[in-house]
This record gives sequence, structure tokens and C-alpha cells, in this order.
Amino acid sequence: MSAGAAKTGPASSSATGGFTSKSAPWLFLAPFLVCFALFTVYPLVQSVVLSMQTTFGPGATKFVGLSNYRGLMHDPLFWIALKNTAVYTLGSLFIQLPIALGLALVLETPGLKGRSWIRLLLFSPSMVGVVFASMMFALIFEKQTGLANQGLRAMLAPLGIEWNLDFGWLQQHVMSALIVASLWMFVGFNMTFFSAALQNVRKDLLEAAVVDGAGPIRRFFTVTVPAIRPVAGFVVLMSVIGSFQLFELPFIMFNNTSGPDNRAMTIVLYLFQNGFETGDLGYASAIGWALAIILLACAGIQRLTARGEEAGAA
Amino acid sequence: MEEQQDRIAGFLPEWLPPGAAIVTALAIGSTVMLLAGAARQTPNEKTMWTFARPHYLMYEPRIAAWNKSGRTPFDLRLLSLPAMERRMMASFLGDVPSADVLEVERRGVSRTFGGPVESVGFYDLTDKLKEEGLLEAINAPSFSPWTTRGHIFGLPHDVHPVMLGYRADLVEAAGIDVSKIETWEDFFREMKPLMADNDKDGKPDRFLLNMWETNQDHLEVLLLQAGGGFFDEQERPTLDSAINVRVLATITTWLAGPARVAADAPNFTAAGNKLKADGYVVSSFFPDWMGDIWKHEIPSLGGKMKLMPLPAWEKGGRRTSVWGGTMLGIPKTAVRTPKDFDVLWEFCKELYISDQFMRDLYREGGIVTPVKKYWSDPIFDEPNAFFSGQPAGRLYINLAPLVPNRNSSPYNTFAMYRTVDALVKLAEEARATGKYDMPTLESRAKVYLGEAQRQVENVLKRNVFLSGGAS
Repeated sequence: MSAGAAKTGPASSSATGGFTSKSAPWLFLAPFLVCFALFTVYPLVQSVVLSMQTTFGPGATKFVGLSNYRGLMHDPLFWIALKNTAVYTLGSLFIQLPIALGLALVLETPGLKGRSWIRLLLFSPSMVGVVFASMMFALIFEKQTGLANQGLRAMLAPLGIEWNLDFGWLQQHVMSALIVASLWMFVGFNMTFFSAALQNVRKDLLEAAVVDGAGPIRRFFTVTVPAIRPVAGFVVLMSVIGSFQLFELPFIMFNNTSGPDNRAMTIVLYLFQNGFETGDLGYASAIGWALAIILLACAGIQRLTARGEEAGAA
Repeated sequence: MEEQQDRIAGFLPEWLPPGAAIVTALAIGSTVMLLAGAARQTPNEKTMWTFARPHYLMYEPRIAAWNKSGRTPFDLRLLSLPAMERRMMASFLGDVPSADVLEVERRGVSRTFGGPVESVGFYDLTDKLKEEGLLEAINAPSFSPWTTRGHIFGLPHDVHPVMLGYRADLVEAAGIDVSKIETWEDFFREMKPLMADNDKDGKPDRFLLNMWETNQDHLEVLLLQAGGGFFDEQERPTLDSAINVRVLATITTWLAGPARVAADAPNFTAAGNKLKADGYVVSSFFPDWMGDIWKHEIPSLGGKMKLMPLPAWEKGGRRTSVWGGTMLGIPKTAVRTPKDFDVLWEFCKELYISDQFMRDLYREGGIVTPVKKYWSDPIFDEPNAFFSGQPAGRLYINLAPLVPNRNSSPYNTFAMYRTVDALVKLAEEARATGKYDMPTLESRAKVYLGEAQRQVENVLKRNVFLSGGAS
């Protein structure tokens, strides 16, 4: 042990300023604990209380019990928001993640030239920020003048197909527009997780599978998939949580509204509208807790699945 | 490493760990910065927040002049509309100070009316307005967005009558005489020749009206013009009223089907401006503030546009509507003594009621004042080059007394979006089924507006302060 390390021993700390070895850890933890209690625990408890109130400032608060939660169960807009969020989440899981995995597999192909540049190119959309991307896609999906409709018209014209410039990406095909925008933004981001996982797949196992006569598909499902499963589980969970928290993308693409006939209404957007546009903070808190319960359930299912797999592997 | 630790240890007192020293330094630094920011304000200085850059630019020299006059100085700050509304709401809900004078847009103000009337964060101006004769001096409909349960909480900035701006170059070249137009039916019939398919692509080259089912402002303009709307005077929802049903059904025939006359050229976007400049739409709704925006955003249309009163829903009907609105309000937290109120009230009147403001408002924004005594001012008769030499101010003032009243319910925005939902469903259903006859459209409109009405009723029921009991 060096002299410097010896100075930080228990005898020295108890002598410094009169701190005992028992109180020192608490003293070091105190700033975090105070902030955590003040900015996390207190607001959490307060939001539970708020979800059982109708309030309009300190002088106008009434306790309404579980009325806000009961209202939520019979609120068609909440169910529309839940359905839209679920559809978007499924789109993220079943379109975005397979594409991300596919790109990662391509990038990990031995001998691929310009790998770093391709990776940067694919990852870069996630660096520009959701607000920028949302504004960009709002322009891309414009009727008549938008790049999507103009591009499709130009591409399909040689095939004798006339694409309708009035195709309403932001009117009738809202969820497709949101999923396409989120693909552009997040595929590269998720790809990096899969890429890292693929680099850790044991080469000796893959070579052994080749020796045993396994083809690429067999190798993928029997060697690669089990090896990347923990990372894939993490990516799935993060995607589900991220998708359920979808807010900025529809909020900006649809100019601070929930889109035509609420087709872009998500749970967080509905929470925002109630809390900050209608001013019903109690109801917004109830929506927040409903979302928290959904996310906790998702996390619980993921944990159970992961445990089951670990037990099976053991 | 050890040496470095020793040096740090030598510099700092023994009882202060380096991490704690950094945190403390940051805390002290940020506090000093905050205090320095607060110290920039001169003692007794009041603050005013506005959300619109043109307003800010218009008020800046006037407030500088006010400050030089030796009266209580004011500091004008420009905030984005959502930021300002959220800070205002947070201050009202938390009962903490914000600015001393707030210039707020209509929808932001109605949100502050969700609780008991005594908990509204703005100072009640009703008695003051009566006492000083301003209730009679100002155009009555201009008070409606700032009035709840008989109490007025703001000084109106504008009237915002709506006219129809049309491409005079195209209309006159086609030999169309707009003076023959009185109703929407007349308008579409007379203008029909402009929808010719000259390029033979199977679609009209242009459409007669810039509107779409997803545009809430256009829908509100038309509903208010027809005498419909979202709430009655007692703030009870009226989404499924017979007038609303008829308006939605009629609009659907404009938007879809064989008699389609409307197309979407969105406002405030480059794409929409290009469509307007290209003549894709012949006419657009024009509140008085819109001319200035077009003048800057689509200067190529200068001298090619003209204004006409909105065609009425029926002969002898209302030829205008209303779109937008702003007020000056004094937060209760800014009034600690009666003297505070007097200072703030004088400032508000100087800013909004003076003849200088009337001129600035019209010259710089094309907006006509709500103060009736100024309406005879010759400034409003000056020809406007953008509108082909028409005296735009006079045209708007002629319509100002006819502007419909609006409701200030905190659920106005919610109700408006639910009505838009109903129109979207109706138009899409009509396109899918190909049924565009009025009886079918009206019966379907009734169903969709009924759904919207129930949603608004449910939200209202949740508000124990307005509905009178817990749900």
C-alpha cells in the first residue's frame, strides 16, 4: 500500500474533522440522497396525490378519489392514444429492429470495405435530434410539394404509374409516416447495439458449425441468435420504453396537434394535452401513472423472460 | 497522481473534499450569475412579456419613449408563444409572480379560465373598464374572448375581422364580377370558370378556396360566420347544433366529390406559399393581420390580390367572421398595492388605447384598432398596394361591428379539435362511399358531431369547478 493510500485509511478519516467511519458514507451520499428525495421521490408521491385531485392552483383543489382513473377507463381518446402507441411500438419492434439487425449483419461481413464510414452514415441520423428530424419529415411528407410524393411520382412514372401528389401521408397515413421517420432516426442507433453484440459472437463456435456442415441460416439461428440474445432483449426493452414515450415526433410533425382524427395521438401527447393545454393536471397525472404501469409490466415481462432463459441455459 | 492529490489537498482546507469544492463553486457561480441577471433590472422596473416579434418591434420604441418620460420604467421581453403560455400557467397555478403585464393570445387566455372565477390569475378589469367608459369605447365583440362568467380580464388589442382575399389578376382576366357575389353558392358558381382543366391532366388547374378538413382555423371561421360554434353563452357545449351539422355537411361537398372546389395550400409554410404564388388556390381567408404576412412571405402577389367580404351562408347573412386575438392582462401577482395597479393600467392604456398605437398597429401590421373613435381616421382610407390599391383598413372597419362573439371556455381548443375530428371522418367517409347528397352528409355529420359533443361533455364533467360537482 502506498503512503497516499495509507492516508485515506479509517484511522485518518475518523481523525479528519471528527467524521467517524460510520457517518462518512452517509455524508458522501447525502447530496445525492437529498436531491433524489427532493426531485424524484417527492414529485412521484405528489403525482400520486395529484392524480386523485382536480386542481386549478393552490386555492382551487378538490379531492376526487379514483375518479380520474375511472374516467380514463371510459375515455375514448385515451384508448385511441393507447392503440396508436401500441401500433407504433409494434412497428418499431417488427420493422425497425429486424432492419437494424440486418444492417449490423451486413456491416459485420468479413472483408467489407468502408465499414466505419457506412456505420457513421447509418448512425448519423440519430445525432441530429428528434426536433430537426420531425420538422424535416413534416416537409418531406407534404402533399403536392413534398419530397416523398414528388419522389414517388418521379420513380413510378417510367413504370407507367401516376403517383397521386395529393397522397395524404400526414392526413390518412399518419402511422406509416411516423414509422418511416422513426426508422430513419433510430435504425442506425439500434444497429450499433447489434453490431457490438455480433462482434462478441465466438468465432470458434461459428467455425465449428461450419465444420459440422451448418449453412448460414442454421448458423444464424443456432449460434448467432443465442449469443446476441441478452443484447437483443435489452434493445427490445429500450425500444418498447422509447416507443411508449413517443412525443416530440408527432407533436412537431403535426404542428402541436394530435393529427387528423387523432391519428397521431400517443399516450404522452395525450398527457401533455391534458396537463398543459387543458390544464387538468390531475387527469394528466393519472395518465402518467397508467403509462408507468404499462412500462413496468413490459420491464417485468422482459425480466421474467430473461430469467427463464438464464435458468434454461444453466 | 498522489502529488496532484497532495497539491489539491494543500490548496483546500482539510475538511473540504475536492468534489464538494467543485459543487460549492458551481453553486456560488450560478447564484452570482442569477443575482447579476436580477440586478440588470433597475429598481421598481416592471416587466412586460409578449409572444409576437412584430408586436415586440412595434412596442420597443414606444416603451423606450415611456421610460424616458420619467414614469415607472418597463422592460419588454419577447418569448415564444408556448414558452410564455407555459410560464404564465405555471405562475398562475403555483401562485408565483411572472411578468407585470402579459400580452397573451386568445387560446392561451382561455386556459386560465378553468377554475373558479376568483382563482383566475389575471386581475379583474370589469369595473375599471366600466368606470372609464372603455366598455362602450371598444368594439363589443373584442371583449368576448377575455370574458368569463361576466368578468373581463383583458384589454383587447384588435378586432380581426375576416375577409376573402382573392387573386384579382386571375378573376378579372376571366371577366368575373365579384360584386354579383353574395353567398358561398354565388361565389362558387361565378368563379367556376377558373377551375378549367387547361393542361388536360384530368384535374382542375386551380381550386377556388384555400381550405382543408384538417385546418381548425378555417373551420372555426366558417362555423362562427354561420352563427355556430362550440359553446353557448352559458358555456354549455353545442358541437352537435343544427348549424354546425349544416356547415360540416356543406363544407364536405367543397372538399370532396364531383363538386369539389377547395384545396390545401397551408399557411405559414414555404410549400403552401409556393402553391398560393402558383395560383393553385384562387382565394384564402384573410383576417386583417394576414395581409402583412403575405406581403412579406409572398411578395410576388403584391398588386395581384384584392379583398371582398366573406360570401354569406344565406342571402342577407353575415359577411365576415373572426380569426385570432390578443389582449393585455395584468397578473394578480403583479398587484401588491393599489398604486401598482394604477401604474400598470396607465401603461396598458398608453400601449393599446392611444392614437399613436392605432396608427402603428395599422401601418406596421395592417391590424385595425378595436377603439371605435379612431375608425374615422383617414389612415384607414389609404390605398394598399398589396391589395391592388384597395383601402384595406376601411374594408375591414366596415365589417368590424359585425364580427361574431366568441366563447372563452377553457375547453374551446379541445372542442375545436373534436369538431375537426368529426369533419375529417365525414369527408373521408364521403370519399369512401361516394355519397355527397346533403341528407346523407347531414345525418352522418350529426353522428360524428354527437360523438364529439359527448367527449367534450365528459371532459367538462371532470372539471368540478365548472360542472358544479365531482364526476
